[in-house]
Amino acid sequence: MNNKKLFAVSALFDDPNKIIEAASKISESGYTKYDVNTPYPIHGMDKAMKLKPSNLGFVTLFFGLSGTAIALLFMYWTMSVDYPMVIGGKPFFALPAFIPVTFELTVLLATLSTVIGMLAFFFKLPANSHPLHDTDYMQNVSKDKYGIFVESADPLFDENKLRNLFKDLGAIKTEDIFIPEKEIFPVFQPKFLILLFITALVVSGGTYFTLNKLMYTLPFNWMMDQGKLNPQKGSVLFADGFGMRKPVEGTVARGFIPYPYKGELNPSQTLSNPLLPTKAVLELGKKKFLTFCSPCHGNFADGDSRLHGQFPNPPTLHSERARNFSDGMIFHIITNGQNVMPSYASQVTSEERWAIINYVRVLQRSKNASDSDLLLSKEESSKNVAK
Amino acid sequence: MNVDYSRELPTIEGRLSLAEIERLVATPLESKPDKKFYIALSITGTFLLIGAICLAISFYYGTGMWGNNQPVGWAFPIVNFVFWVGIGHAGTLISAILFLLRQKWRTGIARFAEAMTIFAVMCAGIFPIIHTGRPWLAGYLTPYPNQHSLWVNFTSPLVWDVFAVSTYFTVSLVFWYVGLIPDFATMRDRTVSKLRKTIYSIFSLGWRHSNRHWQHYEKAYMLLAGFATPLVLSVHTIVSFDFAVSIMPGWHTTIFPPYFVAGAIFSGFAMVVTVLIFVRKIFDLQHIITINHLEKMNKVIIATSMMVGYAYAMEFFIAWYSGVPAEQFVFINRAFGPYAWAYWIMVSCNVIFPQFFWFRKIRRSVPIMLVIVILVNVGMWFERFVITVTSLSRDFLPSSWAYYKPTMYDAGILLGSFGLFFTLVILFTKALPVVSISEIKAVADGAQPVHHGGSHE
Amino acid sequence: MSQNKYLKKELPASLNRIGWMLLIIGAALGLLGFYVDHSRAVFSYLVAYMFLVSLGVGSVFLLALEYVAGADWSVPFRRIIEFTGFITPFLLILAIPLLFNLEELFQWAQPQIVAKDEILTGKSPYLNTEFFIIRVIVFILIWSAFYFLMSRNSLKQDLNGDQKLTRINIKLSAIFIPLFALTISFTSFDWMMSLEPHWFSTIFGVYFFSGTVIAALAGATIFAIPLKEKGYLHSDLNNEHLFSFGALLFAFVNFWAYIAFSQYLLIWYADLPEETTWFLTRWQGSWAYFSILLIVIHFLVPYIILLSQPAKMNPKRLKFSAVWLLFAHLFDLFWLIMPSVQSMEHGYIFSWIDLVFPIAAVGIVIILFTLKAKNNNLIPVGDPKLQKGLNFHL
Repeated sequence: MNNKKLFAVSALFDDPNKIIEAASKISESGYTKYDVNTPYPIHGMDKAMKLKPSNLGFVTLFFGLSGTAIALLFMYWTMSVDYPMVIGGKPFFALPAFIPVTFELTVLLATLSTVIGMLAFFFKLPANSHPLHDTDYMQNVSKDKYGIFVESADPLFDENKLRNLFKDLGAIKTEDIFIPEKEIFPVFQPKFLILLFITALVVSGGTYFTLNKLMYTLPFNWMMDQGKLNPQKGSVLFADGFGMRKPVEGTVARGFIPYPYKGELNPSQTLSNPLLPTKAVLELGKKKFLTFCSPCHGNFADGDSRLHGQFPNPPTLHSERARNFSDGMIFHIITNGQNVMPSYASQVTSEERWAIINYVRVLQRSKNASDSDLLLSKEESSKNVAK
Repeated sequence: MNVDYSRELPTIEGRLSLAEIERLVATPLESKPDKKFYIALSITGTFLLIGAICLAISFYYGTGMWGNNQPVGWAFPIVNFVFWVGIGHAGTLISAILFLLRQKWRTGIARFAEAMTIFAVMCAGIFPIIHTGRPWLAGYLTPYPNQHSLWVNFTSPLVWDVFAVSTYFTVSLVFWYVGLIPDFATMRDRTVSKLRKTIYSIFSLGWRHSNRHWQHYEKAYMLLAGFATPLVLSVHTIVSFDFAVSIMPGWHTTIFPPYFVAGAIFSGFAMVVTVLIFVRKIFDLQHIITINHLEKMNKVIIATSMMVGYAYAMEFFIAWYSGVPAEQFVFINRAFGPYAWAYWIMVSCNVIFPQFFWFRKIRRSVPIMLVIVILVNVGMWFERFVITVTSLSRDFLPSSWAYYKPTMYDAGILLGSFGLFFTLVILFTKALPVVSISEIKAVADGAQPVHHGGSHE
Repeated sequence: MSQNKYLKKELPASLNRIGWMLLIIGAALGLLGFYVDHSRAVFSYLVAYMFLVSLGVGSVFLLALEYVAGADWSVPFRRIIEFTGFITPFLLILAIPLLFNLEELFQWAQPQIVAKDEILTGKSPYLNTEFFIIRVIVFILIWSAFYFLMSRNSLKQDLNGDQKLTRINIKLSAIFIPLFALTISFTSFDWMMSLEPHWFSTIFGVYFFSGTVIAALAGATIFAIPLKEKGYLHSDLNNEHLFSFGALLFAFVNFWAYIAFSQYLLIWYADLPEETTWFLTRWQGSWAYFSILLIVIHFLVPYIILLSQPAKMNPKRLKFSAVWLLFAHLFDLFWLIMPSVQSMEHGYIFSWIDLVFPIAAVGIVIILFTLKAKNNNLIPVGDPKLQKGLNFHL
């Protein structure tokens, strides 16, 4: 106790007027490392201590304005840039609607920054190991006395001079404040380390348990199992237990007009080709023919595809019989199928079927051209050569 | 009784010394709870338990357990939410606004009122979360980064509510805590128990009552009060926007923001008076929370009652003046339709009974004022009920009209919120000083120097 | 007693002269305006009239508020508010030119329009010339009655210091305030909201109230500070006493902005045609600039000027703010009223007539103030709270 270094000399007063006087005197005398402790703020003390006005307001202003900026920028980016949506007919940057959130965020940042700035930066709190703690002086100023102390680090510090000064000013008690003995930094004590370890264990274990186990106890399934039908899933709503259902009887796909003629009926009288053999139609027909028809009937409808030689052979389309088919008959065959040939109704739309038929006619004509056709083509080609 | 206007009324009666004030306030914290404490706690705890059970059942079976349905899809949850948020506003008003208006009489009641604000906002916050139906997924409502560019709708008043109420809670909590720091220090220096000393040391952050700190502290307090004032006005304004931005007749009317704020202050003060009547008796604080305080609060109550009455009158007149049939119908329906019983409870409790506070004798009579303020709270709950339910149950399309009835689970949850509130209040009285020790010392007789130059800020 | 630090001085005669000059010039030019463009002059007159309503009746409200709230700081300045309130009974005379021109101002006063309009016919039990005139007169009489009673008690107290007079005034104030709330709201509906008779807004009364309080506070400030500085009040008064003027002006600027924003946001959000017309008119052509300027003049600028604590006590800033805010309130009234002039539906068209009546109004304010100040003390020497008010410190 006697080897402790002196931190400060302090004095207690029991009258607010006296403490004001004391503070004025001390500050006038030129001391700088001193402070006043009172259980509540005393009016006029700031002036007596000649304190400069607090700068805390600037912290508030800065962070408040940054709150405004953050709010507006965030709302601008989310609502006007990232995923703009027309809501209520209002513009993407709906400023009147953004004002409430902007205001709240301004206030939030301003207040939090003020308090945290004040406590952590202005006061450097928490600070529970200040020399003043656990002294008689502290107990008194916490309750109903007013105290003042001058630190030994002050250049004008003189123990006896100060004690006399305090007595003259009417102090009821003076007390020496000592710097407390330096404790072994508590971090390195075994008890504390064990406590830390146990805390870490408990906290991490508890976190794991809470986040991975507890929070998955039903009904908390975090939308992993949603009451909706996924593909391949079964369903209790239907007698056969299947979730995936066939389309209802009579469902028609788009672009596919129901074909009213089934079986072997020959409807060629009623079906006629609505498409003219224009270049576009013929190109479509060629493309579809090569895709769907050529694997069996050959690239030029000769029946010479790689299925040639199988039983039954895919026939050539240049036979007399085939050439004498009406367009409607060929349409009927493609739609219904014939013998081994399946129905191609689900693979080519009606329009495409008519286009294919136009192309087949071209192929047929090319293998059975008449003399006049030859003359025409000779003329065409000589015209091209002459140029 | 004639008042002498030239004399300053003492803030604290009985010429208490600083040490006596401290002892009075600290005693409940240093003594063991008595039988009355446990009885009170068991009553409120029972209410809380009932509420918890109703909530658990609601979670398990879904919100179908409540009365919410078409057309009244918003019923008890929103009514309770607005009710509790409103009650919270009195605390901030007493704390912040009366501070800015330099009304010394707020000192004895500010701490308690702030605590009530925090507890009321906690009760209020329950309702938006539970009424979503799957509250454990509430985290998905926040704007978390995601690949779908999914964001909250910042133009929706429900989102504004989230920001407003959470900001309000945070700022109130911070404001309350800042006020508590010197008191924690006082408790730390007072207590003999080592455990308590450690706890108080941690929470006081090592506060030394240094004047260099007090200077910034007072500035911060004033800044906080300056921000809390527009904040509290904004919170209930934003809550009113929940209704007013719609096109529903009876909801869409421009006076809602100041009307709701006045109503919030009204119901909040009524709740503060209710609780303080008991607190001052039980904890022997009659010299610190005096009849003058209660009378002043009753004056605020009648002033806000008349503001609420003014809003009723304006709504009614403009509804007629507007010539919009749906609007005119709403007000006739409120007074004479199926919910007329709720409407007349509202009008009598909010406008008629508080008029008794014109009489000084009644303002200063504890038993009568207790009855009136309880009725005010009833009336204000019914006001939110009338606004919400009458407009929804009978809106534009008569074929959609239906009568809403709450279920016992609705009522149970409401009861539970009262249980939560009062349980927290009771626990608070034993855990923290109910009066701000440092502030009340500062306004005691002889606490301030006589010739002071004033600290010009 | 502190009375010996108050010396009753006569206000300089030049002040009264300035007042009369402004009134005569303003009135003469105004009369000319009536001949040149009758309709325009009527509307401009209405703007100036509502300005005087704000200043006068707002002052009576501030008077009542001080009594009811038990405020101490304002006691040394209360007489000034009593003098600015003196405008109130004169409103009866000032309203006469308007009452003779109701058909010019209001569509609902023109029977041929009402007959063809179902909505206006529905409103005619309220919006008809007879009931309108009765309302105007009754409201002014109510305000004047309370003003006379309270100011008479206050002046009587100068002589005998009787505390009972304070008690009576408190009771009168408590009764006045709810009456004021209703009458000022209906006044705003009558004179301003019904200019667009299909439109309605429940908050309109509160909006006019917020502007009224600012005008009354600014009016009190603009008289109080020079008088204090030139020693007409009490030598114990210092800058700290002025703080509340700054704080209240700041608070009510915020309150005005809050009410204005609420009204705008709700109507903008719901986007109902019957409500949006009013704001759409104020967005046509050059009116859009007026609307934006209103926010800047009435909110942004005063907010920044009065934000800091020292600013609220600084006499120079307060004087500037007071003048600025009086102008801002005039601008607000202008923005409320003038877009209803039929010729200006699509944008503001400048006319010298708009400048004339406010000049006359300022003249009237000065004349009435100096008239009252002639024979009465400039501070309420007999008020029991005077010493507390003088002792006031932050």
